[in-house]
Amino acid sequence: MAQNIDPVNGSNNSTAMKDGDGPASATKHQSTSKRLQQELLTLMMSGDKGISAFPNGDEFFSWIGTIIGPKGTVYDGLIYKLSLTFPNGYPFTAPTVKFVTPCFHPNVDTYGNICLDILKDKWSALYDVRTILLSIQSLLGDPNNDSPLNGQAAQLWSDQVAYKKLLLEKFQDIKS
Amino acid sequence: MAVDEEPDTTAKNSAGGENTENKRNESRGEEERAFECNICLDTAKDAVISMCGHLFCWPCLHQWLETRPNRQSCPVCKAAISRDKVIPLYGRGGSKEDPREKLPPRPQGQRTEPENTGAFSNFGFDGGFQMSFGIGAFPFGLFASTFNFGDPVIRAHGTNPANLEDERFLSQLFLWVAILFIFWLLVA
Repeated sequence: MAQNIDPVNGSNNSTAMKDGDGPASATKHQSTSKRLQQELLTLMMSGDKGISAFPNGDEFFSWIGTIIGPKGTVYDGLIYKLSLTFPNGYPFTAPTVKFVTPCFHPNVDTYGNICLDILKDKWSALYDVRTILLSIQSLLGDPNNDSPLNGQAAQLWSDQVAYKKLLLEKFQDIKS
Repeated sequence: MAVDEEPDTTAKNSAGGENTENKRNESRGEEERAFECNICLDTAKDAVISMCGHLFCWPCLHQWLETRPNRQSCPVCKAAISRDKVIPLYGRGGSKEDPREKLPPRPQGQRTEPENTGAFSNFGFDGGFQMSFGIGAFPFGLFASTFNFGDPVIRAHGTNPANLEDERFLSQLFLWVAILFIFWLLVA
């Protein structure tokens, strides 16, 4: 019986999937993963300093990126991990990028959400993982204090010495 | 000595050969990359080019324009971009099938006929004779018609032969209605 039922269930499932997503979605999925493969290749070939990214395990649509704080800023040498989740519509819609390592920054909230225009309304299909990570890296040293997600960080930014002290304290807390 | 040197030189040669080959591969890669779609990062298929000069696959660009119907801008330079303002690129190779049959249809190339040199050639009767009349009052404006003699009416719109046939029939119909109307005006 079970042997008879299983294939029926299986075929039902497949038709349900087709109805829900449509063949267009399947090709979209394919083109998204093809583009991500291209990006991974260029990212590994480019050898940019201070940024890296790699698919998170088997999930090709969710990556883990790493950013090293840019030199000459209070974030110099601090290493942050980020998660990048690519929707099926990527690169037509922006990926969801979050800090995994807690980041004390005027434009990052306590959940790791980032306020960055190119990830929202200024997104362009041309942007890729590399440009996103480079943008976030430069955002670290050059915050937009006019629309802060972290008010304390925005207020303290003008006092770079105190800012760095608090930043390093918070960063040490994470490590320990 | 000579025996010692020989392997050395061959090694150098082969290394040099490798280098140039690498360089050639690289430059070939660069060349190929110049014709990659800016969205899918692959060689552009059903290629179109924007007025700002950026190359895309038509399906990719179409999808990009679909996702933001209100703010249509070039993904590369953010210049204004629209379906009507991209030009399809036809290489020598490529598929022979009609790109219009594919979804989404690629915009048509825009062919304009070379301009006529004679400025007044339209006044010559060689091209045919055109005369139109209408009656200006609103309801009768509909009866306005066009006489076309010996002019195989080729207009910018209505390129379809079936349309043309219809158009001719309609114009004749209206012509007769107009003649009847004038006759009635004169008699009444």
